[in-house]
Amino acid sequence: MATVTLRSLRKSYGTTQVLQHVDLEIGDGEYLVLVGPSGCGKSTLLRCIAGLEEISGGELHIGDRRVDQLAPRDRNVAMVFQSYALYPHMTVRQNMGFALRVKKRPAAEIDAAVMEAARMLELEPLLDRYPGQMSGGQRQRVAMGRAIVRRPDVFLFDEPLSNLDAALRHHMRVELKRLHRRLKTTIVHVTHDQVEALTLADRILVLNGGVVQQIGSPRELFDTPANIFVAQFIGSPSMNLFPATGAGGEVTLEGVEGALELQGEGRFTLGVRPTDFVLGEGPLVGEVDVVESLGAEALLHILLGPYTVVVQAPEPVGVVSGDRVQLGVGVVHRFDIQEGNRL
Amino acid sequence: MISLVLGAYAAEITVWHAYRGAEEEALEQAAHQFSEQSGHGVRLVGVPSGAYSSKLETAIPRGNGPDLFIASHDNLGKWTTMGMIEPLVLSPTGHIPVAVDALTLDGKTWAQPLAYKSVMLLYDPARIDTPPTTTDGLIELAHQQVEEGRYGLAWQASEPYFHAGFMHAFGARALEPGGGARLDTPEHAAAMAFSKRLASDEGIAPAQPTGALIAQLYDEGRVGFVISGPWFTADRSRAIAAAPLPIVSETGRPMAPYLTVEGVFEVPGAADGSADFARYLALGEGAAVRSEVGQQAVSDLAIQSDAPMRVAMAEQARTAIPMPSDPDVANAFEALARSLRAVQRGTLTPEQGAKSAQNYYDILSRPLPPAADPRPWLVGVALLVLGFLGWVGFQLREPELRARVRRHGRDYLWILPAGLAMSVLVVLPFVTGAAVSLFAHKGGEWRFVGLANFLDIALARDWPVTSSLSFVFTLGVTILWTTVNVILHVSIGLGLALLLREPWVRLRSVWRALLIVPWAVPNYITALIWKGMFHAQFGAVNAILGFLLMRGEPIELDWFAQFSTAFCANLVTNTWLGFPFMMVVTLGALQSIPRDLEEAAEVDGASWWFSFRYVTWPLLKPALLPAVILGSVWTFNMFNVIYLVSAGEPNSSTEILISEAYRWAFSRGNRYGYAAAYAVMIFGVLLVYSRAANRLVGEKVI
Repeated sequence: MATVTLRSLRKSYGTTQVLQHVDLEIGDGEYLVLVGPSGCGKSTLLRCIAGLEEISGGELHIGDRRVDQLAPRDRNVAMVFQSYALYPHMTVRQNMGFALRVKKRPAAEIDAAVMEAARMLELEPLLDRYPGQMSGGQRQRVAMGRAIVRRPDVFLFDEPLSNLDAALRHHMRVELKRLHRRLKTTIVHVTHDQVEALTLADRILVLNGGVVQQIGSPRELFDTPANIFVAQFIGSPSMNLFPATGAGGEVTLEGVEGALELQGEGRFTLGVRPTDFVLGEGPLVGEVDVVESLGAEALLHILLGPYTVVVQAPEPVGVVSGDRVQLGVGVVHRFDIQEGNRL
Repeated sequence: MISLVLGAYAAEITVWHAYRGAEEEALEQAAHQFSEQSGHGVRLVGVPSGAYSSKLETAIPRGNGPDLFIASHDNLGKWTTMGMIEPLVLSPTGHIPVAVDALTLDGKTWAQPLAYKSVMLLYDPARIDTPPTTTDGLIELAHQQVEEGRYGLAWQASEPYFHAGFMHAFGARALEPGGGARLDTPEHAAAMAFSKRLASDEGIAPAQPTGALIAQLYDEGRVGFVISGPWFTADRSRAIAAAPLPIVSETGRPMAPYLTVEGVFEVPGAADGSADFARYLALGEGAAVRSEVGQQAVSDLAIQSDAPMRVAMAEQARTAIPMPSDPDVANAFEALARSLRAVQRGTLTPEQGAKSAQNYYDILSRPLPPAADPRPWLVGVALLVLGFLGWVGFQLREPELRARVRRHGRDYLWILPAGLAMSVLVVLPFVTGAAVSLFAHKGGEWRFVGLANFLDIALARDWPVTSSLSFVFTLGVTILWTTVNVILHVSIGLGLALLLREPWVRLRSVWRALLIVPWAVPNYITALIWKGMFHAQFGAVNAILGFLLMRGEPIELDWFAQFSTAFCANLVTNTWLGFPFMMVVTLGALQSIPRDLEEAAEVDGASWWFSFRYVTWPLLKPALLPAVILGSVWTFNMFNVIYLVSAGEPNSSTEILISEAYRWAFSRGNRYGYAAAYAVMIFGVLLVYSRAANRLVGEKVI
């Protein structure tokens, strides 16, 4: 159990800077999710915390120790790799007991720890199997088990659910949440899936191009995204964005007839989440293009001037393709039209 | 090889020779003159000297040979037995007597003498005014020549041909007049002792002298006296003079070297005019041309050149003894050479050397094993073949098999070329070799002996099991050789591969390329270079060791005088050759281990060693195992290194099975059957090994 503190952490490969000035304080027992598109540097950041990459500048602390100059084996972190990295020539039992064998713990102690972790993850019937004889989901649990047995200060998960099918992923998300509640260990979890981020995290760090976009709770990120990137990244389907002009209590969208009763001066980018539209009444008029029915809800793709807007509404929506509908807005977000940050 | 065709004369005489340079020119001129005078065409064919005898021996019995050929007399005995030559009708006159004697056997003279040569006492006229007439004088003058890097006397001391002078001066000889050799005599011991004294004890001669080394030393002005023949003087860059060999002070007898006489031999059924040409070449005009243009020491009494070299040669010929033409002399020489090497190294006393030479000679000239009855064997082979055909026929009765064969008939056609090639290149030699192992060969005679060869080898009938000539001893050495080598190759290869993966290594591709070089250089070149480096006096290894041990000068270790150091020399050379293969295989195998696994072990707290032992190594083993098996088979049969570096010294103890087989076939009396049996046994050992290795890996790796 420990806190993780990053101060001004930088990482470069030669002249290419991959991580720029990351400042982060993770509390003891907190579940932090690092999220971002491919290539944003989240895995690199995780590997820096693990010690598999050397940082180019800044400081890294785990608990009250400064660890950025320490080898991975001295940091007391446990990592679950995206490929699980199970030792193919060892059984599940031996895989899970590996770290304790390194420490030369007595066999009885190793056995007990392995059994406990196996029970937690329902791995008992698989203990004497080899990794090659198991499914992806089973292997993922073994990788988790191997990390759990160590009772480390911090868990580091590198896209642990990416290789699983949708149903299993959903199941494992729930399991992970339960695990965290039970173990109360600090977890740093890297993923590109914003759903995972929203459901698992105590706090989320959104990363893009090596630059921290926003750090906050899922609620904060959803309700008050700090910039356009976060706004579009968090929430699915993504937020609709329009260039807008406002004056004296009225805002018009470029190319669209009708004005909205909103505050805002000058030109800015207006963002509206699909769920924040009002369907059926409002100053805007659009034509329904496609209706995607998801059972309890529907996604409507509506042509509004030059834009196609995605609106999410509960079924039955009562409209079909080709219908003309009126649209209004509820909660809106405003962003600077040049920089993209929240206004 | 140039062939000179002279016009469209009637009967053309074909003459083979191994001359080059001035001698060849002289021959051409003489042939031309003869043609003009006699009207017979003469066609000269030059044959490289290395293959000359064997070419003659294969072509002439088949009728593909020449009419005449020019060769030295020492194979006379063999050739008369093979019926390759015609005796002369009249004994030639006008030649120096000893030349005619050399070419006479069973009362008949078999060739026209042309020229003669032997070794003499060659010396550097820039340093020595008057050549000595006694060995005491020689030793004294030689000592005067000695200083830093300069030697007094150099000769190929362990070659019986060069040792002959001493041998005869002490009253010993290679073969007895009635046949056979008596080497275990006080005379031989005394000759060996004297040779050792001059070669090692007096400190006037270089160690391990080869012809090339002596030539180089002479050209650099670093040796005063050389015992060698006219061939040595031909390419020298310094002036060189000759004198007859001195008298041995101890016995008062002259050092009598072997005389080699060159003659022109006639083949049965030669074209008309051949005998005339032979006579023309031997005496008179032909001899004059050979003397003036070819610089030969001709046997024609009437033609005495006053060139100083030839004056000395003529003088030497008076005491020289013709080289024995009995083929058995090869065995006596082999035995003497072996003992000379040991005595000069100091591993045997001269008395022990003489005794050992006799032992060895007895082994080499041992009679054939008793003949065995081939009939049971033929019946057995016939049964096997019939049985096999029967089995095939039986299998073909099954309709399913027949259908399969018909379906895949064309496929078999595709592999037919490869199958034929394999049969010819692999199966045929193997079967022939196995067949040869059932025979015994000695001096041209083949005898079917069944399994006698195998029994002789396995039961070590003629020498104790611990002798270096026994199969068991050599097998032991070979196993030791293979094991130590493979362990070293794998360790070094693995270590370097792991090192090359380290992130702090710069210029990785440069290192990789450099480390492949030992493998890339042809291994016989490497072996020869290392052999040179292990030379006791001039070698780099002794110099480096002297430096490292802070002696201030090279150490004086004769690497090939004891088994341990000779084995080490071979080991170092083969390790140099072998580790790149293991390194490359390991590098490849390491690539296939996902980086993730090692990172996971690192995060899990494993030290470098723990991670290597429990994660990397178990995953490396399956890839290395085939390489290790291959490497061990190659090392087991690594002929080049053993033959070229230690040459089996000391005393055949560092020979491995494959080089022993070679020795039996080509150095020890041409015992082809015995050697073939050896080869079959090597095959057997490796077959057992590969089966065991397959079992170990659990699948068919080989």
